[in-house]
Amino acid sequence: MYLIKSDNLQALLDKWSQSFKLIVPANENGSVMFLPYEKDAFTMDYINPCMPAKEFLFEQKESLFNWKIDGTLHIMRSNTNKLEDRIIFGVRACDAYAAAYLDRFYIEEYRDTNYAERRENSYIVAVNCINPGKNCFCTSTGIGPFAKKGYDLSFTPLGEDYLVELGSQKGKKLIEPVKHLLTETSDYILAEKEVLQSIVEDKFIRTVNLLNMPYVMEATFDSGIWKEISKACIGCTGCTNVCPTCTCFNIVEEQPCYNEGCRVRCWDSCQSDSFTRNAGNHNPRNEISRVRYRIYDKLKYIEERFQYKGCTGCGRCIEVCPSLIDIIEIASKLKNEYKVGIENKRKKAGSFEICGSDHHERCEHIYTPQAAIIKDIIQETRDIKRFIVEYEDKTLHDNYKFMGQFFELTIFGVGEIAISIPFGPSQRDYFDFCVKKCGRVTNAMHELKAGDKLGLRGPFGKGFPYEEMKGRDILIIGSGVGLAPVRTMIVRIIENLKEFGKLVIIASATSYEGLVYKEDLIKWSDIEGVGVYYALSRHTDKVQAHVGYINDLLPNLDFDWKNSTSIICASPRRIKAVAKDLLSLGMEGKDILTSLETHMRCGIGKCGHCKVGNKYMCVDGPVFNYDEMLALPQEF
Amino acid sequence: MTNSIEELSSADAIFIIGSNTSEQHPLIAMRIIEAVKKNNARLLIADPRKIPLTEFAEAYAPLTPGTNLAFINGMLNVIITEELIKEEFVNSRTEGFKEFKQSIIKYTPEAVSEITGVDADTIRTFARIYAKAQKGSIVYAMGITQHVTGTMNVSALANLAMLTGHIGRESTGVNPLRGQNNVQGACDMGALPNVLPGYQPLNDEKILEKFKSSWGEASNFGNGMTASQMMEEAAKGGIKSLYILGENPMVSDPDTQHVEEALSNLEFLVVQDIFMTETARFAHVILPATSYLEKDGTFTNTERRVQRVRKAIEPVGDSKADWEIICMLLKAFDCYAEYESPEEIMDEIRALIPSYAGITYNRIERVGLQWPCPDIMRPGTAFLHKDRFSRGLGRFSINEYRGPGEAVDEEFPLIMTTGRIQHHYHTGTMTRRSWALNREYPHGFIEINPFDAERFGVKSERKVKVTSRRGSLTTTAIITSKVKLGVVFMPFHFGEEAANKLTNRNFDPVSQIPELKVCAVKIEGVS
Repeated sequence: MYLIKSDNLQALLDKWSQSFKLIVPANENGSVMFLPYEKDAFTMDYINPCMPAKEFLFEQKESLFNWKIDGTLHIMRSNTNKLEDRIIFGVRACDAYAAAYLDRFYIEEYRDTNYAERRENSYIVAVNCINPGKNCFCTSTGIGPFAKKGYDLSFTPLGEDYLVELGSQKGKKLIEPVKHLLTETSDYILAEKEVLQSIVEDKFIRTVNLLNMPYVMEATFDSGIWKEISKACIGCTGCTNVCPTCTCFNIVEEQPCYNEGCRVRCWDSCQSDSFTRNAGNHNPRNEISRVRYRIYDKLKYIEERFQYKGCTGCGRCIEVCPSLIDIIEIASKLKNEYKVGIENKRKKAGSFEICGSDHHERCEHIYTPQAAIIKDIIQETRDIKRFIVEYEDKTLHDNYKFMGQFFELTIFGVGEIAISIPFGPSQRDYFDFCVKKCGRVTNAMHELKAGDKLGLRGPFGKGFPYEEMKGRDILIIGSGVGLAPVRTMIVRIIENLKEFGKLVIIASATSYEGLVYKEDLIKWSDIEGVGVYYALSRHTDKVQAHVGYINDLLPNLDFDWKNSTSIICASPRRIKAVAKDLLSLGMEGKDILTSLETHMRCGIGKCGHCKVGNKYMCVDGPVFNYDEMLALPQEF
Repeated sequence: MTNSIEELSSADAIFIIGSNTSEQHPLIAMRIIEAVKKNNARLLIADPRKIPLTEFAEAYAPLTPGTNLAFINGMLNVIITEELIKEEFVNSRTEGFKEFKQSIIKYTPEAVSEITGVDADTIRTFARIYAKAQKGSIVYAMGITQHVTGTMNVSALANLAMLTGHIGRESTGVNPLRGQNNVQGACDMGALPNVLPGYQPLNDEKILEKFKSSWGEASNFGNGMTASQMMEEAAKGGIKSLYILGENPMVSDPDTQHVEEALSNLEFLVVQDIFMTETARFAHVILPATSYLEKDGTFTNTERRVQRVRKAIEPVGDSKADWEIICMLLKAFDCYAEYESPEEIMDEIRALIPSYAGITYNRIERVGLQWPCPDIMRPGTAFLHKDRFSRGLGRFSINEYRGPGEAVDEEFPLIMTTGRIQHHYHTGTMTRRSWALNREYPHGFIEINPFDAERFGVKSERKVKVTSRRGSLTTTAIITSKVKLGVVFMPFHFGEEAANKLTNRNFDPVSQIPELKVCAVKIEGVS
């Protein structure tokens, strides 16, 4: 613990700037921003820089990798230069706390390489506030006004001096070069700091009681407030752009030449309408759930999932909103409504655990795919092709460990998509993927020929609980291309059929021609103990098929329903229709499994596109049981 | 704008006509929402589409496209009939009231209701709320100007402001919202055919002398052509060469087929722009210009505020700032163009335009100044016409309603109106190159009322063929009750399904603005 004379602050910054890249609050055209240190522009007279310090840790736009095809395919990380050591000075309690949250978010589970590397070289120096801004409410979120987390050093103005405190071991490295400007002090001074803190706390004009907010929000999910706000919101995305805890990004391809390009990521916003829109134009969120999602994420989902406050109380989103949408006002209104007492119609979200990150250690860089080559292409239906794919580096197949539910496939220069794993663990030397033509990437993929290159990243996701299914009757239902994600279970069970009860497969589509794996289905139907049924909308001469719904076939299956597991892969509407009948036949929701593969992008729970409630479809799923599925907000 | 953006927050009645403010001018809409929410201002909106701001409006008039003038005259009629006139203002500040009053008698709410499709009581409500306000503001945009009566529509709004005394004070006025960051500046600089920079007349010898002494005796001070006239002449062969700067008429001008003919007919076409455009494809020479990030200078915004723009990055490739390109051209023609910087050009502007005389780079280093600012001791002008109008007394004009240039018939039963959407800017030259903006609206669409959709067999999100008397195109249908029955709306940003293939070449006789807001079409589902 040290003191430094205010007059010596400049000398301290000068000293630091000799060995670090120093970022400070600076005047720029009438506002204060974090900018590289320059004596003239530097200021200590500010409430809070208009953009949070986040942008130095998680850049607005950054390259993930470069690729080039010149006979062979090269995949290179773009920037392998060692990053400069940086100090970000003047960070307020809110942004410091946000840095602690960002560390938790990006570095744990799957380690975000770009973030982690930059973070290692960054030092955060907090300067505690003595005057709140007109929309500051960090005393309500409990993270300010004095920094509690996320800083390496903190400065508190005490009269003529600043009290300098260490926030981390890393902070010591900053003390050393400026020791001559500091005088040591002892704990007695903390009393003075405490007095100051309560004086500052009393200055806050805006407060809201956020106690139990996650519960309050659980009960006010269908409040009229959301519709009211949705009418005002113009979707400018300003709120998420200035938010210190917003972490979402979009992945974009940049291709200056035909044979080389770069994959970049850019900040993205859940407040843009197209954030969750998928290739088939389906958008699980509408204008109401869109605005609701942001507030839920900030006041509920992040806290539930990561045990960090999702909102630091910096008030920037209020300041920047052209429609005067005010998170404090919303929270107070919800609190009031809660007192009146609205019954919560939605099932309460169950507990969850974050699935491990033990797999995917083979890639040195989490966002870099591995080169693979297309060996063969089979036209399954009019718009579905099956691609047989091999890693270029064959040793990858040798070390491949079967797990997960999907791979991320890269078509260089076009983009990346999540495609489910349709094969079992015994298929080691090559992979195959069933791809339906429906968007930009899948369209491009359908143009590829045998011998063409693509990129593979994965496997990712939580797969079906194979072991738990042993000894039970198994019903597997796949609708259209939905047969692909469940095929992995079909082949695994057939290989070990003795360990299971009955196995029944129902394949459904509009017409027989629209089915994938037609030959497999016929082959499987010849195996003893395996039943294959077809539910088609149109009659066919090729196989014996029921013309009608999947549901019609269920009552005639001679199943021990209490001791059965079923897997359904279809549209959410169809899943619900089938599950309803299965429940009435005696099954339990926990034994009905499904794969919800909605708008996944990064595959590792970082980009935010597939977040539904406090769950990420890509890491918590895509496999969920029916009870879990109903507990989610119906936004998938 | 006669007034400043900020002043809107303190208005107590705001009448918006022909402006989708929250989508096209979100920061101005913010002031309007602020006025409603914090100041209990009463908001009135007249528009063929139920624009997002109607959620905040006390009254909404869904008028038929092309009937704005009847509507405004109807409001004027009510104000006169119900004696809501600000007599003191009319007597001391205006002239021509008598003749004007006579001309407005026939626009009774009932008669106007017949024309506009808005019920008579709504017209009365609009008139009463606006006239009785302490600080009534009018906000308008291209929704009333892109008509054959565009000029009269604006004159009628001026009548409205004068009749009620809502002008020349803070938070009142007649406020056109400019559709481009610097269209005000371009007009101020004389990018108009009939005036010199600063709107100085061509027939004043003293003024001509001033310009001649600066630009040389040989300068041409004749009346020029409007952009629409140039395109007409190009098609006819009256114009042989054209130099287009930062415009994309292949997407933004009416009747694309005609534009194509006109451009192809030119012997020499030069296009100066920051990206390749549909228009530049016709050019013999393309001059690559810099974007706002790569140049220094000033922009003059919608509230007449002259603001600095600063170079953030070096020009990309071989591009050059517009002023540099123009100087190089001038020199190539042996004209004087010895300017070292935009600031030197600003010095000339100050010398030649009285309303800019007091605006120096030094003074606008941090915050811009609003013209008129006649000398460096004055602070600029927040609102115009305080004690007198530019011509002395404000003259009431007589604006007889006439219908749009194009009418619906059995074959083309729907009125199509065009406009912009929030995430794209004009012809999409810039915004369609941004993934984040283009992702929001990657393609064009046409909005149609559910009843019309059923009547014409149009299905939601499906392809439709839209045909007018000029041509046809295929786009995607969006079924929404936001558009009035009998009206369809199409954004014009998308070159590959350019709404302007359908629009007509009827022009306002005074300003020559095209009637982009009214066009008769038919619509059919495409299987």
